[in-house]
Amino acid sequence: MKAVFIVYNQANTERVEYMLDRLEIRGYTQWVDVRGRGSVSGPPHLGTHTWPEMNSAVMTVVPEEKVEQLLEKVKSMDAINDEVGVRAFVWNITESV
Amino acid sequence: MSIYKSAVKRPITTLMIFMAIIVMGIYSVVHLPVDLYPEIEFPAITVMTTYPGASASDIETNVSKVIEDGMNSVDRLKDISSVSYENLSVVTLEFQYETNLDEASNNIRDALDLIEKQLPDGCEKPVIFKFNSSMMPVLFYAVNAKESYPGLEKILDEKIINPLNRVDGIGSVGLAGQPNRVIYVNVDPSRLDAYHMTIGQIGNVIRAENQNTPSGNVKMGKMDYQLRVEGEFTDSRQLNNIIVGTSDGHPVYLRDVATVKDTLKDTGLHERINGQRGLRMFVMKQSGANTVKVAREVKKHLAELEKTLPPDVKIETIFDSSDFIKDSVSNLSQTLMFALLFVVLVVLAFLGRWRATFIVALTIPISLIVAFIYLYISGNSINVISLSSLSIAIGMVVDDAIVVLENISTHIERKSSPREASIYATNEVWLSVIVTTLVIVAVFFPLTLVSGMTGVMFRQLGWIVTITVVTSTVAAITLTPMLSSKLLKLQPKKEKPSRFSYDNTFLRALNALDRGYEKAIKWSLHHKKVILLGALAIFLSSMYLAKNLGTDFMPQTDESRIQLKIELQSGTRVEVTDKVAREVEGIVHQKAPEVKLISTSTGSDDSGGFISMFSQTGSNIINMMMALDKPSQRHRSVWEVAAALRKQLDEIPEVENYSFTFTSGMEASNTVDVYIYGYDFNTTSHLANVIASGIKEIKGASDVQISRDKEKPELKVVLDRDKLALHGLSTASVSAMIRNRVEGLTATEYREQGDEYDVIVRYSPKYRSSITDLENISIMTPAGKYIKLKEIGKVEEYWSPPNIEHRQRERVVKVSVTPYKTSLGQLAGQIQQKIDKLDVPTGVMIDVGGAYEDQQESFTDLGLLLLLSLVLVFLVMASQFESFKMPFIIMFSIPFSFAGVVLALLITGTDLNLVAALGAVLLVGIVVKNAIVLVDYTNLMRDRDMELYDAIRVAGKSRLRPVLMTALTTILGMLPMAISGGEGAEIWRPMGISVIGGLVFSTFITMIIVPVLYAVVSKKGERDKKTALRKKFIFMDKK
Repeated sequence: MKAVFIVYNQANTERVEYMLDRLEIRGYTQWVDVRGRGSVSGPPHLGTHTWPEMNSAVMTVVPEEKVEQLLEKVKSMDAINDEVGVRAFVWNITESV
Repeated sequence: MSIYKSAVKRPITTLMIFMAIIVMGIYSVVHLPVDLYPEIEFPAITVMTTYPGASASDIETNVSKVIEDGMNSVDRLKDISSVSYENLSVVTLEFQYETNLDEASNNIRDALDLIEKQLPDGCEKPVIFKFNSSMMPVLFYAVNAKESYPGLEKILDEKIINPLNRVDGIGSVGLAGQPNRVIYVNVDPSRLDAYHMTIGQIGNVIRAENQNTPSGNVKMGKMDYQLRVEGEFTDSRQLNNIIVGTSDGHPVYLRDVATVKDTLKDTGLHERINGQRGLRMFVMKQSGANTVKVAREVKKHLAELEKTLPPDVKIETIFDSSDFIKDSVSNLSQTLMFALLFVVLVVLAFLGRWRATFIVALTIPISLIVAFIYLYISGNSINVISLSSLSIAIGMVVDDAIVVLENISTHIERKSSPREASIYATNEVWLSVIVTTLVIVAVFFPLTLVSGMTGVMFRQLGWIVTITVVTSTVAAITLTPMLSSKLLKLQPKKEKPSRFSYDNTFLRALNALDRGYEKAIKWSLHHKKVILLGALAIFLSSMYLAKNLGTDFMPQTDESRIQLKIELQSGTRVEVTDKVAREVEGIVHQKAPEVKLISTSTGSDDSGGFISMFSQTGSNIINMMMALDKPSQRHRSVWEVAAALRKQLDEIPEVENYSFTFTSGMEASNTVDVYIYGYDFNTTSHLANVIASGIKEIKGASDVQISRDKEKPELKVVLDRDKLALHGLSTASVSAMIRNRVEGLTATEYREQGDEYDVIVRYSPKYRSSITDLENISIMTPAGKYIKLKEIGKVEEYWSPPNIEHRQRERVVKVSVTPYKTSLGQLAGQIQQKIDKLDVPTGVMIDVGGAYEDQQESFTDLGLLLLLSLVLVFLVMASQFESFKMPFIIMFSIPFSFAGVVLALLITGTDLNLVAALGAVLLVGIVVKNAIVLVDYTNLMRDRDMELYDAIRVAGKSRLRPVLMTALTTILGMLPMAISGGEGAEIWRPMGISVIGGLVFSTFITMIIVPVLYAVVSKKGERDKKTALRKKFIFMDKK
């Protein structure tokens, strides 16, 4: 089992939700309106007057074989437009209840 | 869930809500009455008191003064004035605007109850009379007839007036100058004396003969018969054959001593329609009824009723007050449509996309229609003020939608789905959209708080703009995102746009403009001193020029009608006056071909009549009403026509004085009044004459009028009481006899077909037309002896004293002047100069007022309003920017907008009147909005860590289009108003001119000055934010 943390520009909400559905990923946790700033480029998404854009985030725990597929889709989503980004980070789940 | 999210997620609900608004709006529009101005009730109440037999000065001290003093306790009283005539006192109480007149009249009644005991014994109970604008006739008709003229009154009464009175909304229908049938018995006094008879005796005989008496009943056989004595005349000729007495055993017939004439009453009032005999018919509406509706009903019914009239009776319209209202409103509606078109075109030019333009344009009708709902709910009407307000709003309501739409487009271009783009893009801008709306509301809302006449006129404007702008903001964050989510699509970029495509035309031009502006900012940032000094110079020089600006109160309107009052030497007989009237009519026909109908009335009607309430009448006075062609069909305005006539009138020797008026309403008086207070008649009259002749020399002063009537020559019979007593006569009996002989004795009523006509016995006119004739009037003593009037008294000619006017409880004479081709303010200034040079006797006070006073009051009100708006705007901006400095940068653009107003008014030769000044106040909102956009974006760039000059440059370049768009939509929205002609254009043209002038000028200046100022006031700390921040968190730098 791996945890995939996807942070995305709000404008990608529908795409992300659709992607999870298509990949038959049922379980996830979503944070709406989260703030953040990219490490390399792009404007910060802070929801302020200066930087009005906002992000949302999804954390989903998926079987290992699905991770690759998921990352691939995230990558192609990110490629749609430079200014509307999406990032995914993966880490291990050691135990769960 | 936020409002815009709900709107996008539930598009049908959103659509339905707005559909509901539109349906309600359409319902309101259909049911809204049409009027010229918002309802203004002139808040005046008149107290009339008759005191028979008292002279003007008795009335003044015993009645007028007592009532005036008693009114001290009445609330909200603004002004008190009175006129004391012979036998009559008229006290007029003027209240502050929007006083409840019912309450006020109750207060007056209470006050009158308190002072009633102080009034003299013979004085009748004071009557309270509420003046109401509905008493002004809404329609004037001229009625002409040939053969039917003698019976015209009866015909009109039966066939027109009675049916019309039943029409809903009509107060009453009146006639002026109608011919009355009357039977005169003109007695020859010498024959009367010869037969030893008196007028009274003849009257008694006629009365006794003209009788039908029921005389009981008679039973005959099985029947019961009523018995009657029938003596009533069935034909007026029968009068000739009445035996009025006997002489030497022979009967004396009435025809022996008198001639009987069945004719029309000799009236002192002569009415002529285009020189032909005719009469005037006028229609008054009920209080609160709508002028346009009443006029429409009357015209509809009249067209039907006219068919029943004899063919020679012609009814022509002299004046229809609904015409001007309808024409003005439709004219302004047309202007509004053009404004709408222009705004849509501007939006299209800047956005370059049909669908986007459609979405933005849709907010216009929705916002405007809400204004109609407001008007309907608050019981207002569609009028010039409400429509002008919509014109002002039309350019502003699209701004918010544009901001939202542009941001959504940006998101869509980033390949977001339209739905998400709509939600998130709106989320980013909704707050700033609301803040800019707040600024507009801060400017317009204070308008709703203004009091007085200005308030009545402009409260509506305040509400309408506030409501439409708020609605537009609501629409911008609900409807606009919803429609964008449905209609906007990502447009694929064309590889090679065609030669005439949007990209190759407008877009290129706009891009070039952006680059040019960027260069201009760069230059000015490096020449700050030059720019600031230049701006200061421009501002100061325009303020210097402002000195030359004329000031007026309300714009005068060309309603295609002229009223002319001509005064001849007082005491002139009506026949002479008539002759002059014909001469003047001839001149009018010759010199003013624009005049299509002249209705002249000369003299006055002894039976009073309603019409005398609206115009001063007298045997020496000519009142003319001229109906002109519509403004579009003639080259000269009513003022120019009047000026041409003035020249001609000056050359008629009989004409002593004349004055022109051009409107029906009383709210639009446009005179400078000089009040001369002082007790002594001679001093003040003399002073009034001196001032009047001084004023006449001023260029542009016309129709100089002195309110105090000239002394009028009258005849009085002075009786010798000793001689009266000797003959057993009294003043009462002699005066009754003289009255019978000169005025006539109404002996009886002659009945024909259910109508009654007076039979009047009097001396034949030729025996009572000189002082000698009067002195030879025979008086019968109780002893049956005949004596001549000259034996017991004499007839003297004397000058009757004038009426006594009071204002604020003091005797006053008013000199009023109308400006022509000059402004009210300038005229008042020049008059004041003349007065200052005068040597005013002690006890006399001179005051300049009139419409000039109203103007001063309104301008003070507007000044306060401006101040209030500025304070509110400052409050909103300071809190928006969390800074005291930024609002100042922004508000710096306001003085330049005023400079622009001054220049625009000077160039177009328009006077600064209330409407133009209002335009200037409105500018504050629009101009400030532009500056906010610029400063806000510069702040944003600074926050995004840009260098100061770069931030200013980038912000300028990116905000140029939105600012230009806002300015252009407003300017083009107002343009049709500024250049429109035709009916009523005088009212709103000054507003269009001042807003356009101010906006063009201030937009240019703002775009340069504001960036430069921004650079100037940004202190070191602000320029280098990083260093400043570093100092705050020193722990990071500690080693």
